[in-house]
This record gives sequence, C-alpha cells and structure tokens, in this order.
Amino acid sequence: MRLTTRSNVLWFALIIGAITTLAIAEIAERPVLTHADRVHRLAEEFACPVCDGQSVAESDVPIARTIRLSIASMVDGGATDDDIRTMLVARFGADIDYTPDGRGWTSLVWVLPVVVASLAVVLVAISVRRWQGKLTYSRKLAKPLILGMVSVLAVLAGLFVAQLSGSRGLGDSLSGEIRSSTRSLLIEAGVSPIGEAISIYTQVLDLQPSNTEALAYRGWAYRRDGNLEAAMADLEAAVQIDPSFPDARVFRASLLLLNDEPARAAEDLVALDALRAPPIIDDLLSATRLRERISSALADEGSLVLALDLLRSGLTAAPRSAGLLAERGWLLVRSGEVDLIDIGVTLLNEAVATDPLNPYALTYRAVVRLVIVGDRAGAESDVLEFESLLFQPTELVALLKSEGLIS
Amino acid sequence: LISARSTALIVGLLAVALFGVLATRDSGPDRISAHLVSQPAPPLAGVSIAGDEWDLDAQRGRWVVVNFFSTTCVPCIVEHKELVAFSEDHPNDVRVVSVAFDDAARSVEEFFRTQGGDWPVLAAKTGHIVVDWGVVAVPESYLVSPSGYVAAKVVGGIERDALEALLTELSGTIRS
Repeated sequence: MRLTTRSNVLWFALIIGAITTLAIAEIAERPVLTHADRVHRLAEEFACPVCDGQSVAESDVPIARTIRLSIASMVDGGATDDDIRTMLVARFGADIDYTPDGRGWTSLVWVLPVVVASLAVVLVAISVRRWQGKLTYSRKLAKPLILGMVSVLAVLAGLFVAQLSGSRGLGDSLSGEIRSSTRSLLIEAGVSPIGEAISIYTQVLDLQPSNTEALAYRGWAYRRDGNLEAAMADLEAAVQIDPSFPDARVFRASLLLLNDEPARAAEDLVALDALRAPPIIDDLLSATRLRERISSALADEGSLVLALDLLRSGLTAAPRSAGLLAERGWLLVRSGEVDLIDIGVTLLNEAVATDPLNPYALTYRAVVRLVIVGDRAGAESDVLEFESLLFQPTELVALLKSEGLIS
Repeated sequence: LISARSTALIVGLLAVALFGVLATRDSGPDRISAHLVSQPAPPLAGVSIAGDEWDLDAQRGRWVVVNFFSTTCVPCIVEHKELVAFSEDHPNDVRVVSVAFDDAARSVEEFFRTQGGDWPVLAAKTGHIVVDWGVVAVPESYLVSPSGYVAAKVVGGIERDALEALLTELSGTIRS
C-alpha cells in the first residue's frame, strides 16, 4: 500500500488537526475579569487537603476556607498565579495541585489521554472502513505501520502538551515565554539545588545584567559551592550597583571575614546598620553571630576600637541583644585596661540579666568572675547554668575547660 | 488488519508494563509526617491572648514546641494536660506556644482558664500562620531547635513522655 495516497494524507491531516485543537483548547488564554474571579478560579485548581474529591473552592472545612483567604490575600498583594501555586505546593505538597507538573512521570497524565484519544480515532476509522468493505486483505500488513506512526505522533503531541502545560498558569498564551518573569526565576532559584540555582541566576542576569538580587544570591551560591573568587566578584558588583541592598552587604561581610579581611567586613555591617534591613537579616546575623565573630577577629588583630565601634553600631539598633552585650563586655575585659575591665564586667552582668540562658554571656562572666574578680562561687554558679543548656557551643566548652571550670 | 486478539495482547502488555513501572517506583518521603522537618521554621508571630507580642525568632537559643490546636477538637483537649505537664517540667529550657486554628479568641481564653497552661497562645488572625506551616488538621505540633530549624513534627495528639524522649534524642543529636 502507498502511504501517500490522498485518503491517507487526509486522515493524517485530520488527526494532527484534532491533536492541535486539543492542545490549544487545553492551554488557550482565558482572560480573568476581577480579583474575585481569579481567586475562585485558583481555588478550583487546588484540592482541599483533607477532603475527598473536593476542591478548595467547593469545600467549606476550615483549612479550605483558610486557603481561600490566603489566595485572596496573595492576589490582592499582586502575586502571580505561579507564585500562589509555588507557595501552596510548598506548604501542602504537589498532591493538592489539580494542574500537575508536565515533567517526569507526572507528564503521563497529559500524554496518555492524547495517545488514547488518537488511537481511538484511528481504530474507529479503520473499523468504519472495514464495515464499508473498503479494506481489502492486501492492505492488512500496512495497518500496523500506520498505527505505529500514529502512536509515535500522538506520544510526541502529548509530550508537547505536557511541556506547555506543566508550569504555566491558565492565563498564559500558547506561544508565550513560559518563564519570562525574572521574579519567578528568582523564586525558582531560591528553592533549587546550588548548581541549578547558579544557572537560573545566570539566566536572570542575561536578561537583566544589573539585577542586584540575582548577583548577590549567585555570589552566595558560589560561596556555598566553594568558588570564593566568583562569589566575591558577584558580591562586589552587587554592592557597587546597589549599596543599599542589605543581603549583599551581609553576604559580602561573611565572605570578607572568611578571607581574613575583618576591617572591610565591619564596614559592610556598619553600612548595613544605616539601612532599613528586613527582620530576616537581623535573624541571620544573630543566628550566625557574624557581628560578634568579626569583632573578635578585629580585636585579635589589635583593632579593638574598630571592634567596639562595630558592636556599638549593632547595639544602637538592638540595645537588648545579650549576645552583643556579652561580646562587648568580653572584649573590654580582654583589653587589660582597668577602667575598661569595670565597664566590661558591668556589660556582662547586663547581658546575663537580659538573657539568663545566653551561653556566651554565662561563659564569659564565669571566666571573668574567676580570673578577674576572684569569685569562684559566682563562676561555678554561671557554669552550672551553662551546663543545664541544651545548646553548648564547642568553643565555649573549650574556654571553660582551659580555665579549669569544667573537666 | 490487526486481529482483536493481537490488539488485546498489545494493550494488555502495555498496561502491565505501565503498572510495573509505577508500582516499583519509590513512593517518596511521607509528606504528612516529614513536612518542614530539617527546614527553617516558618514565621510565627502575633499578639497572644494575654495581649503580648510574641515572635518565634525571639526564642533562638531554646527549644520551642509549636502546638496547633482547636478548643473543639477532642484529641486537642486530651493532649492539653500532657502539654501542661511537659511545660511544667521545662520552665526555662523549652518554650511552648499554641496557635488556635479556626477558633474564637474568647473560647480559647476560656479553654486555657479551665484546662490550665500559662504559655503564649496566638488566637487572632492565625490563618496565614496555619498556611505558612502547612497545617491541614489539628492537633499538630512541631519541635523547633534552638537555631530555629524544625527538628520534628508530631501529627495527632502528643504525650509528655514521647515528647520528652524526642527532645532528649534530638538535643543529643544536635549537641554531637
């Protein structure tokens, strides 16, 4: 049989037309009128996490109501459909997403219907022609070939649909760039493994070479990946483009400390203190004790004044920080100057009063009480408190051991 | 033309192959009990029923038990006395905080007045907290480490002894 007969060409054209129509119908642009419409449409696209077969829009259990409110709040706040989808999937798992991902095994849910529908059309056509008596025995051998070709075509079409449908919102057009938004790229990079994140940040920088956030976070990703030279280049560029971007300042300070440049690291943190940094930056500084470590490094290289200035700058923003009070008190005591020692002891007492469970405040005061004040009972009382803590930094344990306060 | 028998055979083989592939795939981690574990704790801040500002970030350096509950949920009522006992055992090193889910502040106040417990309780505008933490049903509890990471998650009612054992195990792990 010749496959290029007019009849076969028509059949192929019909099949391809049907598949294309299916693809377009699935992902064609559907304009959204109001925020309320969009909230309702998004709520329909997610399963209620505790219900059986109901969407978030349909269910009235507390968590469904809560998720609806959350979607509404994000829509009002200007979030894109992808932002909302990413957030909900991160919180409640991919199972609640009624628009499954078009990658990996999940793509089967897109591919199989197209394959099955295409094969069904062909089989019906063959059956009709046989019923009409138009199919002769001599053509039997050619039919498996036609079926095979149609199957391959259908699988490719299904993969095409999956690829287009995977991570796009219903409002996106068929021919549009799937990941055109640098914002969504940055969000994606934030949850990707380091190598992939670096690649995504590079994509953002190809689109926007002066995107400070991408530069700063690619620099941080390089640092985590051990490429310190590339990290410093990105962070220097980020600070140069936008000296008021807090994240870049903190990342660069951390890297400078690692590079044994505490004076420059201190400059970054002092500059940071003049900015209105978000609370997460303060948390990062507190959790990593970056300011205290830079101060300690400065004091070790003889720049006590710089170290004290850095701590004072931090205390201006957070006057009740036990960690900063303790570090400042400890450095003053270590200076050996009689006047400064008195101030240092006062600060250590203030640190313990502010947070009686701060391991640094307790340890430093214990050592000072033993060595400077000669108050062994007081020192042992602080050590007792320290030993009751679940979190005991190893450097503090070593310090107490070196002074013979613990065995 | 392909015979009906051949068609059935091909379809059957394909179905078996697909079933085999799907059945032998890893099912992945149990999301319900593993969600958030080993990740930084999501934000948790608000005004307690006592009128005080409370923020999880301010608790760094201590373990924190974050308990999501409702006054109308029976397992929550059952677990409450266990939480009270646990908090009395740990007046300084562990903080307990409760977050009411879909509950009226007045009911929550009454609940704590009659059932005991003097830890901070967030009851107003907790919807965003519930979504941030991915809570789907109460009671659910999370153990947050001194460095602010979620160290463990307990789905369902908690018991003092089990919580104590969990804390001992995790604090040993983090120390070592």
